[in-house]
Amino acid sequence: MKKVIFMGLLAFSSTVFAQEKVKDKGTVSGGFETNAQWYLNDKCLFDEFYNPVVHPEDPLRSNSYLFVNYKIKNWTFGIQAEAYEQQALLNYNPKYENANVATYFAQFKNEQVDITAGYYYEQFGSGLLLRSWEDRALGINNALRGLRFIYKPTKYFTLKTLYGQQRTGFDVSEGKIYGADAELALSDIFKFEKDELTIGFTYVGRDEKTDIVDPKFNDLTNAFAGRINYSHNGYYVSSEYDYKSKDAVVQVKNQIDNNLIKPGSAFLLNMGYSKKGFGVDATFRRLENMSFYSERLAKGNQYNDLIMNYVPSLTKQHHYNLANIYVYQAQPNVILNDVNLVKAGEIGGQIDLFYNFKKGTALGGKYGTKVALNYSQYHGLGGEFYIFSPQDYHTDFLGFGKKYFTDVNIEITKKWNEKWQSGFTYINQYYNKKYIQETYGEVKSNIVGAESTYKFSTNKSVRVQAEHLWANSDKKNWASLLTEFNLGSKYALYVSDMYNYGNDDAKLQHHYYSIGNSYRFKSTRIALAYGRQRGGLVCVGGVCRYVPESTGVSLSLNTSF
Amino acid sequence: MKKLLNLLFLFVGFASFSQKQMPNISLSDIDGKKMSVTTDFMEKDKIYIFSFWATWCTPCISELDEMNDVQEEWKKTLPIEIVAVATDDSRTQKRIKPLVNGKGWEYKVLLDSNQELKRALGIVNIPYTVVVKNGAIVHIQNGYVPGNENDLLAKLKTL
Repeated sequence: MKKVIFMGLLAFSSTVFAQEKVKDKGTVSGGFETNAQWYLNDKCLFDEFYNPVVHPEDPLRSNSYLFVNYKIKNWTFGIQAEAYEQQALLNYNPKYENANVATYFAQFKNEQVDITAGYYYEQFGSGLLLRSWEDRALGINNALRGLRFIYKPTKYFTLKTLYGQQRTGFDVSEGKIYGADAELALSDIFKFEKDELTIGFTYVGRDEKTDIVDPKFNDLTNAFAGRINYSHNGYYVSSEYDYKSKDAVVQVKNQIDNNLIKPGSAFLLNMGYSKKGFGVDATFRRLENMSFYSERLAKGNQYNDLIMNYVPSLTKQHHYNLANIYVYQAQPNVILNDVNLVKAGEIGGQIDLFYNFKKGTALGGKYGTKVALNYSQYHGLGGEFYIFSPQDYHTDFLGFGKKYFTDVNIEITKKWNEKWQSGFTYINQYYNKKYIQETYGEVKSNIVGAESTYKFSTNKSVRVQAEHLWANSDKKNWASLLTEFNLGSKYALYVSDMYNYGNDDAKLQHHYYSIGNSYRFKSTRIALAYGRQRGGLVCVGGVCRYVPESTGVSLSLNTSF
Repeated sequence: MKKLLNLLFLFVGFASFSQKQMPNISLSDIDGKKMSVTTDFMEKDKIYIFSFWATWCTPCISELDEMNDVQEEWKKTLPIEIVAVATDDSRTQKRIKPLVNGKGWEYKVLLDSNQELKRALGIVNIPYTVVVKNGAIVHIQNGYVPGNENDLLAKLKTL
């Protein structure tokens, strides 16, 4: 089927090319990316059971993506092919295998109407009910395959309706997804001069037949949301409320619980104020039983396969390496199996503050000084939990239960003169490993990081980044150093090492070193590196993927045309 | 399968003959106003520099800090406008407005929340800079290291 559609697209486009006399021949654009890894044995890198790192079967692996779009007048046709040879990189969904056509679409778009058939990406509101997106680093591509219709009769009203099945590997989900979203810009209707006011409503339905005998829940799960967005001069406030109708809870992998049928909800509130040189922003979020998959049994799978909504952790995404060891993950799930570990969701928030000490002031100096402060804290949702027959729970709207995570941090960036620029960070974290990762332990840590860039000439520079992490448990202390040389405008080289010198087990005091270089030319970038990969969570945008420890050579190339 | 891929590559070949246009996509600006990346950035002979960034991307922020310092100087000789396209998703999107104002950046900021524009342009890593003149993409810079702004300026002078 896919092949037929693809050949159809190709045939169509070639006929267009054939008519060379036609004025508008359309344009072709696209991109190519490959990430290849050659896994090696490493006798000196052990896991916690003292097993050395052994390369997997098929040590040479790669993930490659090629997409081509053809646009003519109001039409766009696109196709993406993917290849996983010999296999997908370690810990990617094994459903990604060999080479095949992954997604394709045909789209008609003008000022008022946008119709897409085939695979498409969409997000309603903040994405807490529906988001389909692609993140290759995490192996996520949950595009919907079906039909989407967007209608904008006026400037201030947008209606989106869609139907589709979700991509999983090179196939699509059993579950079917229906959705509608309307957004109305009231400020345009009432001709507000200085204010922006928009409201939006969302419906998402997930229809999946169940094999359970006498199910106490419906095949169709309905979800609704409303949102509002208001801004006036430098002030702004926005809020969203989501509700997911009663559905069977999946606590243990692959087990639908026919006796625990619960609804889910989310509440998001954000407000802030900013003017030139100053900004403050605060967010509050409450989540209760909010995981949503296009197939019920997919819940909790480690590949983020069949995930329908986007529940990011609302914390600061740090760029220092050591600040990415204890990364918070949002906790929307229900677990009642163990008296000592019960969950029904999370509650918490964060505050950000940005300030720019002006040029010419005492703290600003000649070039100004930029300061960013951030504080976040999350708790389990508090309430009453019943572990034994029948299992159940009742939550409080503002119930702050067990503390899961806190992060207080300050970041200062300062340009000293034309050649020197520095950055400094201090981070204090509390990470409740038992609740976040469902294992045991809790970690308190302090991280200090400093970086400096020195420009030798207009296009040659060196950057050094040094970090230290003090932790009271788990793997304890780490030190890290990174040096990056930018030789000319196209070529860069780096050497880095992360050293877990504080590990209580001397045998596990590993160095995670890496050396690499990259070359950039116009839209192309190619990078080659050798080194060790720390095992653990690799997180992008608050969504994480587990990667095992590995040693090897990696090559990546990307380009667009 | 191999045949299919070959065909695709053949198809890619056509790309080099056609001048790349900006895709017809509308994004919200920082105040929630919808803007089309084609029709709203179409002033004749004006050079639009679309700089893709995110609040968590340090080199992106270095680049935009640097450009903010030099843009007044550049504008004296070249008809340029810098547009900062934030690729932050809903995790960090709320941080954009206070950050932009906190830093005192004087850019038009667009929100590419579900990475529609980023995907359409085939962008894998940020920072990534796309230079547009009269609706056509005339230059691309993939990545940023200190000093790249000088190369960019030299290139802009030739456009």
